[in-house]
Amino acid sequence: MQSSFDLQYIIELMPILFKYLGVTMEMALWGFLFALILALGLALVRVFKIAFIQHLASLYISFFRGTPLLVQLFLLYYGFPQFMPIFVGMDAFTAAVIGLSLHFSAYMAESIRAAILGIDKSQMEACLSIGMTRLQAMKRIILPQASRLATPSLMNYFIDMIKSTSLAFTLGVAEIMAKAQMEASSSFKFFESFLAVAVIYWVVVIFFTRIQHLLEKRLNKAY
Amino acid sequence: MIKVSNLSKKFGDLAVLKDISFEVAKGEIVVIIGPSGTGKSTLLRCLNYLETPTTGQIHIGNATIDAVSHKAKEVTALRQQSSFVFQNYSLFANKTALQNVAESLITVWKIPTQEALETARAILLKVGLKDKFDIYPSQLSGGQQQRVGIARAMAAKGEVILFDEPTSSLDPEWVDEVLAVMKQLAIEKQTMIVVTHEMQFAKEVADRVIFMEDGFIVEQGSPQDVFNNPQHERTKAFVKRALKQH
Repeated sequence: MQSSFDLQYIIELMPILFKYLGVTMEMALWGFLFALILALGLALVRVFKIAFIQHLASLYISFFRGTPLLVQLFLLYYGFPQFMPIFVGMDAFTAAVIGLSLHFSAYMAESIRAAILGIDKSQMEACLSIGMTRLQAMKRIILPQASRLATPSLMNYFIDMIKSTSLAFTLGVAEIMAKAQMEASSSFKFFESFLAVAVIYWVVVIFFTRIQHLLEKRLNKAY
Repeated sequence: MIKVSNLSKKFGDLAVLKDISFEVAKGEIVVIIGPSGTGKSTLLRCLNYLETPTTGQIHIGNATIDAVSHKAKEVTALRQQSSFVFQNYSLFANKTALQNVAESLITVWKIPTQEALETARAILLKVGLKDKFDIYPSQLSGGQQQRVGIARAMAAKGEVILFDEPTSSLDPEWVDEVLAVMKQLAIEKQTMIVVTHEMQFAKEVADRVIFMEDGFIVEQGSPQDVFNNPQHERTKAFVKRALKQH
């Protein structure tokens, strides 16, 4: 079957897809928030070399970096309920957010750790010298400085996460990719449908890249 | 007020400090001199526990610590009894001059922010930086950064301020303004221990000069004694060389 490119179809599809962008962004934003909290915890455990837990953290990072996101999502949503009743009632959206958080936290932990280690050790010494504890030093001096170093790579992961939410359609989440897939199979206009969804992702990413530049400018104020 | 007993520090097999004992009275200004790499900075860093001594006791103000059995709480308590001026300034890069000075008051001493900032302003005025309150360290000259460093140490409410070669990283043009601040502190009888190569400063300001070499205190006494009438051969050689340069 051959048909010509249908621009009109794309123009009409855009607003329909756009309605589902909310679900996509909600997944990305919740996922990123939880990933950030987890990653910070993991990074601190490894920086402070907290006995025993730091090995668990290393194992965690190794597993979530070492296996595909799709496999992790399937394990979580289709696999776990088989043995653990607590997972049976979990909806696909929640599973996707959890899966994305766990997966990305492993990568982000390493970025944050590297940023913390990138701060000159004289900054920590200066904190200690005036009687601050290591934890106070982290909170008030080291992490604020490290956040500046970590921002470019963390924003990279955020952008990656926005795109990775498209995998949630395999769990049955009605997000933008799922809608494009549905429209494509009913109209048989596959090229137009997937091009439309690609353009939307691209525009969203361009928007957040802009935000990243503004954020970096702000964080560079002191330097 | 400060009592150091039998302090020693080893880096692996290398003994950097060997059985150091001395006392410093309240209001006393002690200058430590000696060749590079003889443990002067390490000694100062041990007093602030930025280095952990291998053995020995340190007593400052109301804090006492034994190197062999030290606990985290004791370390923090000891550090709160002293403050440190670093050779490379080490100002908090994410904080303004004012915030740098106020940080210990807010975080360590839990003083309300407005009051802490007020105190910090007064201290910055004292070191001659009245128009630099809201400037970040990266925009200050070396001399200004080090004066903020001294102001930060003054604010920390310690019994003693430890100076680790405070003028060694400075361009010559900035040295005098930093020394002037230190001299002012000396006039006010602020207890200080200063590691420096500024012999003129030691001569003028010190109550006592300690000469260190190879991890030992070789000789100590008034500037008069150490510079004009040194007892040990090594002190004689060092003083002769050091004074010739100035």
